[in-house]
Amino acid sequence: MSTETTGLGTPEDLTDAERGAVEAELRPLADGEFVLAERYTEWQVRAPTLESDLAISNIAQDELGHARLWYDLLEDFGYTEAALIWEANPEDFQHPTLVELPLGEGDWADAIVRGYLYDTYENLHLRALEGTSYPWIADRVGKVLAEEDYHTQHARNWLSRLCEDDPGRERVRKALDRLFPYALTLFAETEHEAAIVDMGIRTESLADMREEWLGVVVPHLDSLGLSVPVSEDGEVLVDLPDQVGTDGSHTEHWPELFEEFTHTYRELELGEPPRLLEDPDEV
Amino acid sequence: MIWEVFRQEQRGKYHTHCGNVHAPDKEMALMFAQIQHGRRRPTHSLWVTPREEIGEVDAEETSFGGTTDKSYRWAMTFNTDEDFAAEIAASQREQEAAERERAERGDDAEGGGGNAEGGAEEGESA
Repeated sequence: MSTETTGLGTPEDLTDAERGAVEAELRPLADGEFVLAERYTEWQVRAPTLESDLAISNIAQDELGHARLWYDLLEDFGYTEAALIWEANPEDFQHPTLVELPLGEGDWADAIVRGYLYDTYENLHLRALEGTSYPWIADRVGKVLAEEDYHTQHARNWLSRLCEDDPGRERVRKALDRLFPYALTLFAETEHEAAIVDMGIRTESLADMREEWLGVVVPHLDSLGLSVPVSEDGEVLVDLPDQVGTDGSHTEHWPELFEEFTHTYRELELGEPPRLLEDPDEV
Repeated sequence: MIWEVFRQEQRGKYHTHCGNVHAPDKEMALMFAQIQHGRRRPTHSLWVTPREEIGEVDAEETSFGGTTDKSYRWAMTFNTDEDFAAEIAASQREQEAAERERAERGDDAEGGGGNAEGGAEEGESA
């Protein structure tokens, strides 16, 4: 592992390679937070109790805030929010496909399992960014981490309670079986992976993070009476889905979700600012 | 199950009742209370307690007292002559002026060789 971390410069100072690597690190992170929040908000006003509704809405709001922190760093490179999100093409998004899958209808266990798998990953990812060589990322990690502790606690609390009886555990098991292969997309590398680690933008490789993640998730789920498709010696027994997201490939559910959350933007014609006067040249 | 929530704004202050949450157990109650009662206002600590564990006795069951006028016990209702504050201030000014004069004379006596500030401090502590 590279120990030499010479700090990268300001956004304008970066070489093309450095900038490419920073963007490749940030884009999946920003999109991941954004799209997960979109899915969470589907539970808003529908969660099992008023309290759980407020909690999940609050988590969604946190994730949107985190997405904004990361998008904001991409905007330093000259992108606008509109270009990154509202006027982007669906295939520009690089979130891991775990977060775009539709939530099972009325299936609270799905939201909880997804949150658990994602938040455990996010925690590891953020810790691997604490010592980043890009100071602008370092500034933001602490703020995000502070909120992530609550998310992990939320997911764990719910998981253990859902698994207290057989019908509950059965629902969790179904959600887990469906989501687990997609959770592996959280660690899908981009072509910039080697550069990201070499330049110290992230201090740990996705491959190492995946091992660590399995080391946390597998025993925990096991302790709740849930089986995970991982062998005794830690080998994952399911294949990575065809669409991993970080390379721009997405499931058939993605265009629909994208269409939905950009609907208002298009309907209000926000892409074309209203003009009070006609252009005199056109009169 | 209903849990009553008590919020403490700063360390050392009282926890005051701020509402309640529905939750199956203490851990979940604390988790929900954080969102509902700890996010909008400065909060140092939250307590949750099952509503049924709270004991209550009310005015219909007992007479609590506190209804007779005992304001004569509060020293703030005594009349005082407010001139004494001016006298104290005048005396204070007088002492300060005398102190300064002493310090100046002390400097002269030392023939200007000593540290003026050090001399003044010694004078005060004596």
